[in-house]
Amino acid sequence: MKDFIRPTLVLLIICVISGAILAFIYQQTAPLIAENKLKAEEAARRLVLPDAEFFKPVSDSSEVLYYEGYSADSTLVGYIFSCVQYGYSSDVKTIVGLTPELMISAITVVSQAETPGLGANCTKDDFTAQFTGKNPDNIYVDKDGGDIQSLTGATITTRAVTNAIRDAFQKLQDRL
Amino acid sequence: MKAIQEFTKGIIKENPVFVMALGLCPVLAVSTSVQNAIGMGAAATFVLVCSNIFISLLKNFIPSKVRIPCYILVIASFVTIVDMAMEAYVPPLHKSLGIFIPLIVVNCIILGRAEAFASKNGVFKSMLDGLGMGVGFMLAIIVIASIREFLGVGTILDIRILPASYKPMIAAILPPGAFITIGLLMGLLSILQNKKKSKA
Amino acid sequence: MDFSTLFIIIIGSIFVNNFVIHRFLGLCPYIGVSKKMDSAFGMGMAVIFVMTMASTITWLIYTFFLNKATSIFGIDLTFLRTIAFILSIAVLVQFVEMVIKKAAPELYKALGIYLPLITTNCAVLGVSLLNINENYNFIESIVNGAAAGVGFTLVLVLMAGIRERLEYSKVPKSMKGMPISFIVAGCMALAFLGFSGMKF
Repeated sequence: MKDFIRPTLVLLIICVISGAILAFIYQQTAPLIAENKLKAEEAARRLVLPDAEFFKPVSDSSEVLYYEGYSADSTLVGYIFSCVQYGYSSDVKTIVGLTPELMISAITVVSQAETPGLGANCTKDDFTAQFTGKNPDNIYVDKDGGDIQSLTGATITTRAVTNAIRDAFQKLQDRL
Repeated sequence: MKAIQEFTKGIIKENPVFVMALGLCPVLAVSTSVQNAIGMGAAATFVLVCSNIFISLLKNFIPSKVRIPCYILVIASFVTIVDMAMEAYVPPLHKSLGIFIPLIVVNCIILGRAEAFASKNGVFKSMLDGLGMGVGFMLAIIVIASIREFLGVGTILDIRILPASYKPMIAAILPPGAFITIGLLMGLLSILQNKKKSKA
Repeated sequence: MDFSTLFIIIIGSIFVNNFVIHRFLGLCPYIGVSKKMDSAFGMGMAVIFVMTMASTITWLIYTFFLNKATSIFGIDLTFLRTIAFILSIAVLVQFVEMVIKKAAPELYKALGIYLPLITTNCAVLGVSLLNINENYNFIESIVNGAAAGVGFTLVLVLMAGIRERLEYSKVPKSMKGMPISFIVAGCMALAFLGFSGMKF
């Protein structure tokens, strides 16, 4: 009986101690982690709508549909929405900024796990820059007769980004 | 054995990756870029050193019947600490290492050193052993990652080495590249060893 | 129940995102237990069994104890998931070993020696963590666990078949054993790349 109690007790003690230490560290880091997430989202919004000073979410009953961006003197400088579509091997999530005239001001790809060296190049500036100034209602990949140049060897990823933006915009269009 | 040897043996003579073929999963998975390799190496070294210290401290307290669960508990606690700390302070690295941070728990190097070394040796020696093994592990990933990033992107640590006109050998950063790189490196190592033997 | 989602998960885990070839999980047994066909098969069966069970149990633990929204305690304990998962896998493996030993001695003879190795097989912890990351529901988690195990067995058995033949081929001396196995794995990974990007 004795050889049974001691191991159990030791295991229990280690469990309790490590649980307590982890709970403490979790309390220390949890606010930082939450803050990082907010900061990253905020940074993406600033990137696609550099003129905006602050952002206001616009939502229907259940979820945030898009953000309105305002300059320091509270004039509307644009809209921001996010869109996602399955590319070659992963969901590609893009944040899009629109000018008040509903042209694209800039885009940024915030999460993807496409093929490194091919599809993963969709996060690079040379690729995303070509969207600036385009009409989101009418963007197509070059292979589909549009003027978005597809990434070398990654037409499917390019198409996912382009079509996601167009689809999401067309759904939102009447509300903007 | 001198204390310094406890440290250096892990780097070359008993290198956990190339010589003992332990902990291969993270080595192959995160070696797509040198930056990831350094992050993974540092995280694993931290866990290895801490768990070695604690297990060596607790070696008389832990009954041998339940020693493996106890070791796993200690290791898992440190892994969780690293996981949370990385998410809080270096979120981009945390994101690119992803599931391989919690998987440090099942890295055979760490449990292996706990069982084979820390449970039998003093605190100071165990710490050096953990540090040596950790550095050896980190060096191994960095070597593989350098080769893969160099061939697959033309950069090392995001610094361009080959001219931009270089057409990257993308297969090197895809899974096949990982397997073939480590296979060739191990082959090279055994050529060197065979030469040493025939000389002696 | 939506069968097409399940179908996608099955094909995805066996071929497209094969655990060994694409995600680099479970490499130690992949290289270590692939010398002989029958031991590879035995290991594969044991892994399928444990992975399915582990997916079931860790999903239940996560949902009812750790996740704040669905937990019976109503507090957020998700930071304990690495510890909780690895401990429950360790207990599960021990338990399975005891049950099989009593209930089916024949099966135990065949699988017994592989079971202790499975606790530190990162594919098992990996599938548990991935189920949570992908937000799979109960049925999807079980199916994913089983499919990942099948994918593991598939490449393990293929590898064993190749290595049995390699025994009789002329391999350069320095490439014998592990190095050539990695090169073979690289070729296999190249072949499996053909599955990636498959859509339904």
